[in-house]
Amino acid sequence: MVLTEEQRALNRDRGMSDRTTTVGRLDEVVSTPEEFDRAVSQALPVLLDRATSYTKRFLRETGQWSEDVAHEKFVLRWGAEYLERFLICGRSEVPCRPLFLLDSLVAKQHSQPEPFCYHPDLLTPLGRFLDGIVARAAISRDALIGLYHHCYGFGPGDVIALTGLNGSESQRIYKNFRRWRDSGWQRAMDEVGMTEAELNELSSRQERHPQRFNGESERLIRFAQAHYRKSEPDHYPCLSRPQWEEMFTQGYGYDYRIWHLALCLDCMQTAWALGSKGTPAVDKPRVELRVRP
Amino acid sequence: MEHERDLEEYRACLLKALTVSAHRSACSASDPIHVFVNERRAGLLDGAGAETSLQLQSHVRIDTIQLRSEDGVLLGGLSAPEFGFRTSRIALLRDTIELRVHNTAQGGSVSAIFMPAPSLWRRTWRTLAGVADAADRRPVRGMLPGVQTVALTQALLAIVVVGLAASQMTGWMTQERARSPVTPAEIPWAAPLTNVVKLEQQLGELAQMQAKAVDTIQTQQQGMAQLQGAITKLSSTQEAVASSVLTVRREMEKRQKGQGHDVERVTRLLMTKAQTEQEQLEAEIHSLIVANDKLSKDMAELEQHNQDLKKRLKSAGQEVSKAIVSDRDKPMVARQEDGAHSQPFLFWVAFGEGTSQKSIDQWVRKVRGQKRAVSGGWQEVEIVSPTIPPDRFLEQIRQTKIVKAVRIS
Repeated sequence: MVLTEEQRALNRDRGMSDRTTTVGRLDEVVSTPEEFDRAVSQALPVLLDRATSYTKRFLRETGQWSEDVAHEKFVLRWGAEYLERFLICGRSEVPCRPLFLLDSLVAKQHSQPEPFCYHPDLLTPLGRFLDGIVARAAISRDALIGLYHHCYGFGPGDVIALTGLNGSESQRIYKNFRRWRDSGWQRAMDEVGMTEAELNELSSRQERHPQRFNGESERLIRFAQAHYRKSEPDHYPCLSRPQWEEMFTQGYGYDYRIWHLALCLDCMQTAWALGSKGTPAVDKPRVELRVRP
Repeated sequence: MEHERDLEEYRACLLKALTVSAHRSACSASDPIHVFVNERRAGLLDGAGAETSLQLQSHVRIDTIQLRSEDGVLLGGLSAPEFGFRTSRIALLRDTIELRVHNTAQGGSVSAIFMPAPSLWRRTWRTLAGVADAADRRPVRGMLPGVQTVALTQALLAIVVVGLAASQMTGWMTQERARSPVTPAEIPWAAPLTNVVKLEQQLGELAQMQAKAVDTIQTQQQGMAQLQGAITKLSSTQEAVASSVLTVRREMEKRQKGQGHDVERVTRLLMTKAQTEQEQLEAEIHSLIVANDKLSKDMAELEQHNQDLKKRLKSAGQEVSKAIVSDRDKPMVARQEDGAHSQPFLFWVAFGEGTSQKSIDQWVRKVRGQKRAVSGGWQEVEIVSPTIPPDRFLEQIRQTKIVKAVRIS
């Protein structure tokens, strides 16, 4: 037991020494994208910790930090998000010093009015789940189409009828659904750190108090949608019913319909019956959360 | 304690996801790729495996461009410069996306071009065409030696065979962008086909190397084409500039010549005018001289005539006084005839050219005259009044050989 403790201490020291060496290399100039890849791939844990610590500092300084697992997970999630962007976009910034490039990237993100979607209620298991899928919908079409299922219980056929899509677009919806079920949903859950236990707990809560659960979900969905809808193109604002009606009648704006309706509960409840031209193919959409894909 | 473990697992999961990165996309090569500008969805590269492009303009400065698959995996990206251009080629297994961003004070623009990797058949064909082209372009000094022909044919055949094999294998391999890791135990037929798998891997690597080489060649060719285009453009511009300069020079020369011609013409006109005026002046001067000479002659003649008249008057006076004395004894008529015979007779003679002074003197003595004034080629001669009438006398004088003309005044 004593030996084990000593070994742990030794490993910790060695780890700290390695970390210092790695950080030492990262503050040196890299001249080519290959050099950049080599330098950062050997130092991912260090870089993740650095990005995470900056996010933690931001939350502390803006009075949003609490010492709990949810906040720790939140900063880890955003640290990983920044690091991914750094790994991809940093290659085009060479020659540079990787460590300081990461610092500048994180600082740039944090200098924006709303660098991420933060609300204490979104740090609960339900909030994390919803934040995870809505955030993913902003960057993934699979997740976007999956959102129709998770929020309203729609299948591919319902989505096609609701949005009034034609042949080729319909095939794409089926593909989106399939990929989301196969791998997308799990990846989204991994990214927000949802454990199996937490997911099961959500399901059981919904079974016990469906109305309360869905009400709470709707409130959080609206909050998350309002934030992530900003990632839509600027020319996709909310429309009035006559405007939606004109779009469906004239047969344009398929992309507009798919993206906006998935991310806007109010517009969904306005335009839900327009796609079927007559008898509505689906019932008026109400939030009925589906945890599983 | 459980929370710490939970956090550690979560951290490890995130790090793993970062390591796997773009390879975890479940999308196929024909699925569209989403383009995000400043982390907002801006467009789609949907060529369904064919080459396609996307052009975007923004009123705000562009910070980042991200490429994401349909399942949201970040495939590539570019951090834009504050001002100016930046280009990046992002390799997606076999396909390539070229991103180009340009930031100005007015905003930014993005260009994304999806360039799918050509099939192995196409690449092989292009390679063969390239070899054939190169052979065609090479200067042929004679027939290709037999050994070289055989070697070339063998090389081409080898490329075709490898291409065929790799095409099938890579087509089998790249049906999806990434496959889930599969253990040999899950594939019952994998164990006896180890060698096939190895060969397949080698062929896959070979195909990738080939693809890279072909891409490099294509890039170089594109670069060369662009360079050639730029050179052609430059030379045409130079030609245009040179021709413009020549035109301008000619125009200037023409203008100068025109101006010279005008000046010459004006000068010539002025000279002609001046000459004419000078000639006129000279003619006038000449006529004036002539007139002056004539006037002088006339004046001389008048003076001579005046003197003659004075002499006549004097002699007349003398005659009159003599006659008054003699008249007292003789009739009036006889007195008049005597007076007429005693009066001198003056006339002018112009002698013929070449007449010597001696001949003139002789002639004067012959007519019993005396030489008087000479003016303008005319010799004044005085004689005692002739016995015959003056007209006949002058006619006789005129008929003399050396006399050219005769006049009285």
